[in-house]
Amino acid sequence: MSVIQLAVDGIVYGSIIVLGAVGLSLVYSIGDFPNFAHGDLMVAGAYGGLVANLGLTQIGLQPTSVFSPELLVTIVAGLAIGIVVAVATHYLVFKPLDSGPIALLITSFGVALIYRSLIWMGFGSSARSYNFPRSGPIGSIRDATGLAVTNRMLVIVLATAVVVTTLHFVLQYSMLGKKMRAAADNGDLARISGIRPRETVLTMWVGGGALAAMGGVFLGLHTLIRPLMGFDILLLIFAAVILGGIGSIYGAMLGGFAIGLAHEMTPVIPGVGSEYGAAVAFVIMIIILLVRPGGILGEETT
Amino acid sequence: MNVTIPKTDHELGSTSVVLLGLIVLLGLAILTGALTVSYATYLIALSGMYVLLALGLNVQWGYGGIINFAVVAFWGLGAYVAALATARTSPLGLEWHPLFALVVAIIFSVIAAILVGLPAIRLRADYLAIATLGFSEIFRLLVANETHITAGMAGLAGIPSVLEDLPFDTVTTNLLVVAVAGALVFLFLRRIHRSPWGRVMQIIKADEDLAESLGKNAFSFKMQTFVLGCVIMTIAGVYYAHFIGYVDPTDLDPLETFFVWVAVILGGSGSNRGAVVGAFILVAVLEGTRFLTDFSIFAALSTGPLRLLIVGVLIVLIMRFKPEGLYPPRDELIWPKSQTDTEGQS
Amino acid sequence: MTVLDIDQVDSGYGDLQILHDVSMHLEEDEIVCIIGPNGAGKSTAIKTIFGLVQPWTGAITLRGTEISGQMPEDIVRQGISYVPQTDNVFSTLTVEENLEIGGVTVSDESTEMIEKLYDRFPILEEKRSKKARTLSGGQRQILAFSRALMVDPDVLLIDEPSAGLAPSLVQDVFENVKQINSLGTSVLMVEQNARAGLNISDRGYVLAQGQVKYEDDAQAILENPEIGELYLGG
Repeated sequence: MSVIQLAVDGIVYGSIIVLGAVGLSLVYSIGDFPNFAHGDLMVAGAYGGLVANLGLTQIGLQPTSVFSPELLVTIVAGLAIGIVVAVATHYLVFKPLDSGPIALLITSFGVALIYRSLIWMGFGSSARSYNFPRSGPIGSIRDATGLAVTNRMLVIVLATAVVVTTLHFVLQYSMLGKKMRAAADNGDLARISGIRPRETVLTMWVGGGALAAMGGVFLGLHTLIRPLMGFDILLLIFAAVILGGIGSIYGAMLGGFAIGLAHEMTPVIPGVGSEYGAAVAFVIMIIILLVRPGGILGEETT
Repeated sequence: MNVTIPKTDHELGSTSVVLLGLIVLLGLAILTGALTVSYATYLIALSGMYVLLALGLNVQWGYGGIINFAVVAFWGLGAYVAALATARTSPLGLEWHPLFALVVAIIFSVIAAILVGLPAIRLRADYLAIATLGFSEIFRLLVANETHITAGMAGLAGIPSVLEDLPFDTVTTNLLVVAVAGALVFLFLRRIHRSPWGRVMQIIKADEDLAESLGKNAFSFKMQTFVLGCVIMTIAGVYYAHFIGYVDPTDLDPLETFFVWVAVILGGSGSNRGAVVGAFILVAVLEGTRFLTDFSIFAALSTGPLRLLIVGVLIVLIMRFKPEGLYPPRDELIWPKSQTDTEGQS
Repeated sequence: MTVLDIDQVDSGYGDLQILHDVSMHLEEDEIVCIIGPNGAGKSTAIKTIFGLVQPWTGAITLRGTEISGQMPEDIVRQGISYVPQTDNVFSTLTVEENLEIGGVTVSDESTEMIEKLYDRFPILEEKRSKKARTLSGGQRQILAFSRALMVDPDVLLIDEPSAGLAPSLVQDVFENVKQINSLGTSVLMVEQNARAGLNISDRGYVLAQGQVKYEDDAQAILENPEIGELYLGG
């Protein structure tokens, strides 16, 4: 396969990682703990989308392409589930805990197991897929460039671009976005300035849950929907967040694409096969942790 | 500073009550035919292995405050070195004596622990958690894919059982070996915990800056706890390979790491007897879920997710309602207050 | 009239008591300086007033309204503002965004207030779209003050305004404090640089081992030989 084709695949996979990483980074910086349940939160979103998708099929709506209102319904249903699950977990588990980052970290792993087991119980362990026709590579793109790009890949990258751009404007120019950045930068000073943690923390879970769910739906769209896929992608998302610098939303975006590219382009390294895609990403992550824990876009830690 | 003498008799008393209770339950289960003898001995041997793992993690987390999310990798290192060095099916074709393999596994473990620990121990707790988990996954991927060395996903069968030379049957030997190993590690850890070394470790865990100002090299002490804990985990892995006779890369699932964490935090971080009790309860939970599906309300569920659910709920509940665990360490030097607080319990 | 009254307050972290029966008050238009050795509980006193550390016993009232037991985000809405000693700006936000966040509770008057502060500190306007982390130490301190002034507070609490600044800038900081005071804000500050702090103050408190050991007019403290030896470095 050509290097450019690998890079294209990397951008697609990177888009999914970006969606997970931005949410995880939000929670890491404002909630102040690494949420090990974030991967399984994505899966919850993916299954939320699946329920809606199957429901549509049941009432006889048969999408002819992935570019369809059915996809929108699938995504929105996934988002709704992601948000509900994230916010409910906050109120039921994390908020009453009222403890330090390490206790939250360990608890979040318990939460991950709960999500995973409930999904597994509800949907079984076998892989599922969304009911959209699988089409081959888009002919015109293949003729022009020789690259295999499917409709699904196009949807994932375009939708991620829209989300990331919207997020940029919200964060940069809205007062809520500024408050979120302030709380992520310095939580104490944000409170001293009069920002209510309730508002930022709730926004963080809504935003984090929605982005995670979207990433989960796209992960399911890109490959298959499996109850255990959350953990596989979790460490890649951590790698992206750490590469970009914890708390830096833009860092998470950059880190997501970088890790996606590293994951898919591993075969370019002589003697290393695609089976080591994840390993290469983890090596990058560990190196960053050791030499520049603030991330490539983050501040030097003091 | 006020040094309090732990009430050894009382401690052992309550621990043995819990263990005795579990053993009585097990006995009843055999008598009523719910369990076969061989399954019961398997359970005890398995518990023994988790005791070793929990003790190893307790050294790191409980004594040193070091987060290690690579428990399964150091355990797997032991299991794989043992399997590769002794199994008939090993691609390396060494077929060493298991005791020799054990020594080699420990050496590898020390080297690996130093290589991981040297750069990583200095990291902030959350970074260390993520870094060790990353390391664990890299190890798993290597084992799964370097087929010419590790036999890959096919796994390694034909590992000789523990100390075949002893004049007992396999089951008895298994139990004996893990009981002796567990007891030795337990006594050793208790001894060093109460030694001057253990006191320094407690100060470091409570206040690293204070320890440094007393002229103690916190980093060196933490490295020692990390290596010690990893070696104990590796020993558990070596034992597992000989006990089960087969290993493959699916054994290296990071989930195992979190099972061991449950044992430690349930028992009480920093408490060895807590780690022991935690390990037994963990095995009761992991294996007990098998039988839950016999009851009609759980009949529709398969064991796998039910087990995950129970472990997950257990983690959340412990952290919320009993973060100090069932047996909070009481022989603390630093916090006389916490001493009196836990006085009434257990 | 008394704007801020601290009455027999105990407080601390966890089980560790820091403040013992501390009583202080701040009158309208005053500058009051709290001095004392390291670890005396000076910062804890200010944090307790602002709700960052909860008082165990005693009462804190602002113009007669009790504020003890409230959270900082509620306290700032009552006309009192706080400049921490460190991490007192949002380093990844621009200068202007720092000010906007400072004015989050008074969003209606925010733009107007920012213009006022730009007039007073032209350097902020010059750097308005620069990230706060790119500012020099002195500029950062001006931004930290300005962020706190966005709510146009009756009372300003300042923790060690001169800490970490180059000696040449220390005088500027105290000039700023005086100027803020002259525009109608009562100031309660903690200062390690006791002489410089007392010089611009009306009154002072000497805090040691979490207790108020002495209180008097600033000038009287400066001239007291015993305090001079113990707390002012001779």
